[in-house]
Amino acid sequence: MTVRRAVERVAALLRNRRLDAELESEILAHLELAQRDALARGLSPAEARRAARLSFGGIEQMKEEHRERRSLPWMETLWRDFSYGVAAVRRAPGFSALVVGVLALGIGANVGMFSVVDAVLLKPLPFAAPDRLTGVWEAPRPGIVNATSAPDFLDWQRLATVFSALSAEQSVSADLVGSNEPVRLSGKEVTAGYFQVFTARTLLGRTFTPGDAQPGAAPVIVLSHAAWQNYFGGDPGILSRRPILDGAPHQVIGVLAPGAFDRDETRFWKPLVFTPDQLATRDIHWLTVYGRLRPGVTLAQAREQMAAIHAAMTEGAAKEDREASIAIEPLARLLVGDGLQRSVTVAFGAVTLVLLIACANVANLLLAKGATRRRELAVRAALGAGRGRLVRQLFTESLVLCLLGGLAGVAVAALLLRVAKPVLADSIPFTAAVALDFPVLAFAGAAALGVALLAGTLPAMRMAFGNLAQGLNGSARGSSGAHSRMRRAIVVGEVALSLILVSGALLLLRSLLKLQALDTGIRTSQVITMSLDLPVGAYPTPQQAALFYQTAASRVQAAPGVAQVGMTTTLPLRWISNGEAMMVPGVEKLVRVRFKRVDPGYFKTLGIPVLAGRGITAADVEGSTRVLVINQALAARLADVAGYRNPVGKKVRVSCPGYVEKRVFLPEMEIAGVIRSERVASPGYPDPPVVYAPLAQVPSPQIKLLVRTMTEPGAVMPAIRQAIREVDSGLPLGDIATMDQVRDGTLSGATRPAWLIGVFAALSVLLAAIGLYGVVAHLVTQQRREIGIRMALGARGADVLSRVLRHALGTVAVGLALGLAGAFALTRVMKNLLFEVSPLDPLALALACAAMTLIGLFAGLVPASRAARVDPATTLRDEG
Amino acid sequence: MSKQQNEVPYGTLDLLILKTLETLGTLHGYAIARRIEQVSGDDMQLSQGSVYPALIRLQQEGWIATDWGISETNRKVKFYSLTEAGRKQLPIEVAKWEKATALVARFLEASS
Repeated sequence: MTVRRAVERVAALLRNRRLDAELESEILAHLELAQRDALARGLSPAEARRAARLSFGGIEQMKEEHRERRSLPWMETLWRDFSYGVAAVRRAPGFSALVVGVLALGIGANVGMFSVVDAVLLKPLPFAAPDRLTGVWEAPRPGIVNATSAPDFLDWQRLATVFSALSAEQSVSADLVGSNEPVRLSGKEVTAGYFQVFTARTLLGRTFTPGDAQPGAAPVIVLSHAAWQNYFGGDPGILSRRPILDGAPHQVIGVLAPGAFDRDETRFWKPLVFTPDQLATRDIHWLTVYGRLRPGVTLAQAREQMAAIHAAMTEGAAKEDREASIAIEPLARLLVGDGLQRSVTVAFGAVTLVLLIACANVANLLLAKGATRRRELAVRAALGAGRGRLVRQLFTESLVLCLLGGLAGVAVAALLLRVAKPVLADSIPFTAAVALDFPVLAFAGAAALGVALLAGTLPAMRMAFGNLAQGLNGSARGSSGAHSRMRRAIVVGEVALSLILVSGALLLLRSLLKLQALDTGIRTSQVITMSLDLPVGAYPTPQQAALFYQTAASRVQAAPGVAQVGMTTTLPLRWISNGEAMMVPGVEKLVRVRFKRVDPGYFKTLGIPVLAGRGITAADVEGSTRVLVINQALAARLADVAGYRNPVGKKVRVSCPGYVEKRVFLPEMEIAGVIRSERVASPGYPDPPVVYAPLAQVPSPQIKLLVRTMTEPGAVMPAIRQAIREVDSGLPLGDIATMDQVRDGTLSGATRPAWLIGVFAALSVLLAAIGLYGVVAHLVTQQRREIGIRMALGARGADVLSRVLRHALGTVAVGLALGLAGAFALTRVMKNLLFEVSPLDPLALALACAAMTLIGLFAGLVPASRAARVDPATTLRDEG
Repeated sequence: MSKQQNEVPYGTLDLLILKTLETLGTLHGYAIARRIEQVSGDDMQLSQGSVYPALIRLQQEGWIATDWGISETNRKVKFYSLTEAGRKQLPIEVAKWEKATALVARFLEASS
């Protein structure tokens, strides 16, 4: 048969009815013509009709042949099976709804999770030739990467030939004053190469040229599509507008096309202009650098060239500088770190287990259903239906169910993604677009087919190849043959899989509880935080900023409902990115410290105790003795390197960052006190040595305000807002969050997979419980006759009950043993997700086993006690 | 509709239809059947209905095309005509047929 004919035949299948009708009319016309000719030959009308019929031949035979010729018989059979399947599904709506529901949960969880896996791990980054994108860093020591300085970046840009474009950026934020409340926008200052590296297209206007970054050039910005829509209402005339950013008008020169950048928090870009100060020092590391490799250049070649450049640049420099190098990492790796990859993979593994459990349930349900259909199948087999035909029909029925389940699963997945959207946005890089797109839908289809194969094949074979004669022979029932062995095997598998999930969830829960109980060294309840960024235009000098802090603090302190107010440059529980060096007299090596600026209220607001000396006071202002407070970790370090038993009163030099200028100064400072360490990073990191300098002596335009309130923090917010407005009416409050939220944010890196797996575990326990109950109950029901006989022979109800339960628990026990083996095998995977909990934590494993045993017990108890209560005579008569 | 000892040999009908359409152009099913009957005279008995399954096959191969038209009895019927592909196919089918009959003839001669 030619291909063309095959295609035609398939097409014919779809218009069968019309073709039949056409043939019918053709036959009629034929007969009419034949009759007319016969009449012309002189025959009577009756004779003519008969002659026409005769010469035409067998009409029905011909039609059949015609039909057969024009279509594919196996397709027709398939179609018929399929309609039988649909009919069977509709005949048993309760059963079908149960199967489809179970599948919808299993497939839905998988499809939802797969869309995340696809977005985060599988899809290429949403930039042109994404494998060419790299991050370029200074690596002072192996394994540690650092931002870079302006002169270093310019050297790289001048010397490196492996990149077709190289860009440097720093994150900034600016107050946008428009018609509404002033808003704080996140943005980036970028060099001209930025949009070449990321190949962002503009919808309107242009991106930067080197001319935009010339000193004295008019200030310009590029807006993200989202910013254009949200803050400027998608104004088509935006390019002629000059919105006020931080007090100065900026010309909008371009709007990006919609895309990945809209999911980022960056709303605008402005040219990065280096000041003479910034160009003068290589000691301030503040630029994040990205590069686009030239086509054909490998990562290894790029690393080699950068190493050579670094060697040339540091020739004759200090030994410490020469030991450093330059690190190049693919952007995809930078965006999706090990932690995220691990979480996503484990979560996907968990949903796969859920799906397998759902499969087991469906297989079970189909088997149970099959048991009730044995008579029907036996009759059909007796009437001559082939085994293959029966298998095919049964399989098609499960296929119909699975496809329905897949469809419902996609709906469930859409719902899940909608609910999880805010959490997802926080957890995955902005480059990842989670959507129910074609690959995800294809996955859903594949999952549905996979389930049909996995769950449908065995029951179909089992039913069609089992001893069908038995189905007719009504008395052969209730025996525990191969049929029930298979169902028992399914239960064992189901229990094993559920145990792995449940114990995994319990382990993560334990880990979560440990984290919750973690002593962060600060009081977080009823503390609200917000950021205040002083526009440098309005506050050009550090003195003005210092005055603002003082006024604002006293105003907020006086506001009703405020218990204590504090200010700092870095929120507690957040990593202090500002690293500085401390020179201790008599010690050759620099002591590396984290540097934080706080006001007199900071320690009080957070309840951080002063262990020795004093905290920062209102007297520590510009002009008085420069002081600093150190944490325990630094005190210990100083005791170690300098032998200071009591550091209070000792004088050291610390490099301090400038107010706005990228420049450090190295004043002598006196250690005024030691405080108990507060946690500054996620658990797992040791406390770093921290220096607290008085905000009034080392001011910064970007600060965080911390307010401890007397009542619920939200209720006090309006008063705080009012107080700040009284000091500076144009200053917006950004990043408002309670300290508890900040704390959760810091700890969530380790806790996020926990609730996710918790949900899946709950789901799997539910599915496992349904499955276990269904199977055990069915087995017991099948033994009713046996139970009846035993009871008739004098067995007591309790004996029957214990026998059934022993049997059920035996099955569960085998499953538990297998599941424990699986949990042991997965220790390595779990280890990295757990905080201070062993992957083989006995409590978690024991609890999981106990839960599964209880379910098994319950599943056996209900039907067994029902069977034991029934009058044996009834059961026997029923079955006979 | 019983004895039809001289049924059209299998596969021959396709060739006869193609040849008929080549000679006479566009025809409806009845005309095709009649034409074949007339040409073959009394040598062959054709169930006229059997042209229809043959026609659908040729149509699926793309060798003939159909068009709706009005019969002499004023009824809507399908008219069949040879397509370009069919015109090209005809000599191939003829060659095939000749080869087959030659083979059978040789075989019979050799055996007798």
